[in-house]
Amino acid sequence: MGMDATRPFQDLWTKGNRYGSEFSFDMELRPNWFPVFESGYEVIKLNTNYIEYTGQGSYSRIGIDYNFLQAEHKNDKDVLFFGLRYGFSIARQKVDRYLVDSYWGTVNGHFGNQNYFAHWGEFLVGIKGEIFHNFYLGWTIRGKVKMNHTEMELPPVYFIPGYGKAEKGFTMDFTYSVYYNIPWDFRKKNRVVKTVIKK
Amino acid sequence: MKRFLYLICILIAASGCKEVFEAPPQSFLKVSFLNSSTKATISPKVSVLGVGLENMWVKDSVLKEILLPLSVNDATSYLISLDAKNDTITFIHETIQKYASMESGFYFEYKLQSIDFTNNRIDSILITDSLVTKKWNENIKLYVHPLPSGNN
Repeated sequence: MGMDATRPFQDLWTKGNRYGSEFSFDMELRPNWFPVFESGYEVIKLNTNYIEYTGQGSYSRIGIDYNFLQAEHKNDKDVLFFGLRYGFSIARQKVDRYLVDSYWGTVNGHFGNQNYFAHWGEFLVGIKGEIFHNFYLGWTIRGKVKMNHTEMELPPVYFIPGYGKAEKGFTMDFTYSVYYNIPWDFRKKNRVVKTVIKK
Repeated sequence: MKRFLYLICILIAASGCKEVFEAPPQSFLKVSFLNSSTKATISPKVSVLGVGLENMWVKDSVLKEILLPLSVNDATSYLISLDAKNDTITFIHETIQKYASMESGFYFEYKLQSIDFTNNRIDSILITDSLVTKKWNENIKLYVHPLPSGNN
């Protein structure tokens, strides 16, 4: 199981104040194949001279990673992997205040809560390396392709938690996570079985 | 771990110049001035004041065309002075709210439905494009009676 260390600090490289948290769970059910479940919550807030916006919601991804590294011994769990994900989000947004200035005066207004759904696909590459016994650090680089989201007239969906800006059909992202390996050794069991068959 | 700290430092440095938000666009009704007899473009001395407002939009400027902002109400009226002869123009329009971006917010576009005006200096008005958008295309041709001196 892992926790993404980059999610709380996303506002350092994105517009607005974006933050969140994400956890992941994976298990080597077959040698080098890791089914994965990731889930998180994200918030984005924009506050400019013209608008005050909040978008927030939860997201989940399910998928699988394939490890390209050959284990040098039975306890070697460092991995270099390629993965695929299906992601979806249930979110809401609101515009607390907007302002339009003109010669005829200032127009103020707001839009209440709007709920929406979005889903997308991801492909990724990444590594995980053991730093202490059963504790791992790893990063992924991800390409995300939007499939669809709820269409709304005004304002349109701006932010999809777990994906990024809704207006973009493709986004890039990276994660840097800390993992803890629960010491259930499925690999060991599989290796033993293989050894017996060879003999 | 050291490389990760370097990455964080770079991102913090980059974040210092990220919060740049543009103003939303504005839609203007574009008016061209023409001589009603010769149909040629003219450049009268123009002053414009929104009816009910105190600040002039344009004051004593020699122009062959002018951009006018419309109000969010269904009608927008201007007092317009062309070479010191005053007229009133009222634009009847539909107002449509538009989304610019979530950083810039919203703006308004308009659809002209009709125009009422007085005839002191204005001869007639032709609507060439009823959609008043952020692209500032010509929307109306304003035909002006020629001055007695024949300057236009």
